[in-house]
Amino acid sequence: MSSAPLLKVDNLTTHFHTSRGDVQAVRGVSFDVKPGEILGIVGESGSGKSITCLSILGLLKANGEVVDGSADFEGKQLTGLSDKQLRTIRGDDIAMIFQDPMTSLNPTLTVGEQLIETIVAHKPVSRGEARKRALELFELVKIPSAASRLDNYPHEFSGGMRQRVMIAMALTCDPKLLIADEPTTALDVTIQRQILLLLKDLQEKLGMAIILITHDLGVIAEVADRILVMYGGMVMETGDVYDVFESPQHPYTTGLLHSIPDVRSHTKQRLTPIPGSPPDMLRPPEGCPFAPRCPHAIQQCLEAMPPLFERPNAKPTVHEARCWLHHEEAPKALQSIFDAPEVSNG
Amino acid sequence: MDKQPHMRDDEVLMRVRDLKKHFQVSAGFFGQNPKFLKAVDGVDLDIRRGETLGLVGESGCGKSTLARTLIRLYSPTDGVIEFNGADLAKLKEKDLAPHRRDIQMIFQDPYASLNGRMNVRDLIAEPLEIAGIGDDKSRTARVHELLEVVGLNKDHANRFPHEFSGGQRQRIGIARAIALNPQLVICDEAISALDVSIQAQVVNMLEDLQKELGLTYLFITHDLSMVKHISDRIGVMYLGKLVEIAPNNALYDDPKHPYTRALLASIPIADPVEARKDNQDQMQGEIPSPIDMPSGCRFRTRCPLATDLCAAEEPELKELADNHKVACHYAE
Repeated sequence: MSSAPLLKVDNLTTHFHTSRGDVQAVRGVSFDVKPGEILGIVGESGSGKSITCLSILGLLKANGEVVDGSADFEGKQLTGLSDKQLRTIRGDDIAMIFQDPMTSLNPTLTVGEQLIETIVAHKPVSRGEARKRALELFELVKIPSAASRLDNYPHEFSGGMRQRVMIAMALTCDPKLLIADEPTTALDVTIQRQILLLLKDLQEKLGMAIILITHDLGVIAEVADRILVMYGGMVMETGDVYDVFESPQHPYTTGLLHSIPDVRSHTKQRLTPIPGSPPDMLRPPEGCPFAPRCPHAIQQCLEAMPPLFERPNAKPTVHEARCWLHHEEAPKALQSIFDAPEVSNG
Repeated sequence: MDKQPHMRDDEVLMRVRDLKKHFQVSAGFFGQNPKFLKAVDGVDLDIRRGETLGLVGESGCGKSTLARTLIRLYSPTDGVIEFNGADLAKLKEKDLAPHRRDIQMIFQDPYASLNGRMNVRDLIAEPLEIAGIGDDKSRTARVHELLEVVGLNKDHANRFPHEFSGGQRQRIGIARAIALNPQLVICDEAISALDVSIQAQVVNMLEDLQKELGLTYLFITHDLSMVKHISDRIGVMYLGKLVEIAPNNALYDDPKHPYTRALLASIPIADPVEARKDNQDQMQGEIPSPIDMPSGCRFRTRCPLATDLCAAEEPELKELADNHKVACHYAE
């Protein structure tokens, strides 16, 4: 638990310059990733979860800019590195996979050729050796009849198999950190489960850390060690995955959990949606970004940005929530909403 | 507890028999051995008045093609679609018109399905205009009424789709769909593109509308948690066929088809304790091509129970318990 972090993100702030003004996509995000852990980042569209990771890797579109903060990978500052320096780190130490594997593969080359090319680009090996390594990687990600599949084109693979190919490519240089951005969102549930279990298996076998970005709390519950809940470009809650699901400390997390029907429930209960819609990041609210939709908001929430409050005696790791109701002077009646373990709607 | 204890169980709104939709994918050599994609390949289905019938299955199982065939966006290859005393499968385009207003569809992507050059008033009034209902003024009044019903207001009428969020656009799509007081509304992945917190808003609204307007829903989705919540009965499709259909609790408590079991075991549960329990029903492999279908039972290539019988004979959909039908040689 006490090992030094692999990645340390501090006060990361990213803006997109548009004709209508600056979109404040990421607003002071800080978190650590420890070696070998799976950190799940959950949030809805526009929460800043993907932009956070693209900012770390220097993959923002031309109008995006990291205006403040830093990302430190094993003591190396990532923010401010040249494209060339970043490219080396991206290939060797940090790899990334995306939602749609088809757009990341070249349709005119066999997947074997693409994999071999990647290996040769990063390692001083012959093509013959690279092919051997490619085959190993295919077997590692459990692609059936790996040897013959190397000579297939991307369109000959199903969505799930293509995602396995992308994972194989990402593993070329034994990265210490894999960033997976909605890797299973486009896949069917049966295939989603296969890919998630594969990622978990690889993390255990290879000891690499994974940042898993998703909108689906179910995906986080399945494989993550720690969870980071994002909303309005900020971290709303973070902690151990069992701890956060059992006793969420932010009304947004609670709201998300209550928005999804419990498949184990036998009685039909009306869903409890979160009213309203997410904030406009051109002009985010001054106070807590969730306050306008929060059923428990008090005046303070609308006026001032809450800091992260640490939950006392949280185990096995720090559990924090950005909510004024945890302030010692907040009305006791409202604080009690966090006391009892949340019963899922069933 | 059933959602609608007063539901008239026996009244069938749409009766589908042996419905097939095949697409020709290659002409073959000099017209010989043409290849067909059998997207829907013999489906029997009753949609009962006032119920929500869920339809689930993986991509490529034919659930969306089935929906599009039911509203005759596609012409069926074979089969019967009985609706209000007519067989929609046999009707010519001009004879379909009076039935079209009774069956409406809500699509997945509310942005792609709304014409961006039309304002909200015109978008919602369009079905009324096509059906020749009312004049300009009365249609505008109806649009205002519909906007209220779906939780928007009449100030939204002069705006354009791009000015709305995804959830609001889906509300506009729903207003359009209910404008003509349809009997059957087909929701094809209607909430899949929406954020979780917005999904719940739209689902609650769909449930309210059903009660108020007496709608019948065919709810097609790949979201196995939401479909259980919203449906009275659920059908499971695999490679163009219905493999199991049952009331929602019966299906989830006692899934009888090995495919249904595997599907339910894959549901991501938002509870780490529950989600990490071992379950043996994890499915191997992927859905085969609907062009080269396996012989016998279509699921046998992925099925842990498959025997020679399954390769030789295609199982029929049989009623094994009350309202619970399964197509598997070994289901009991």
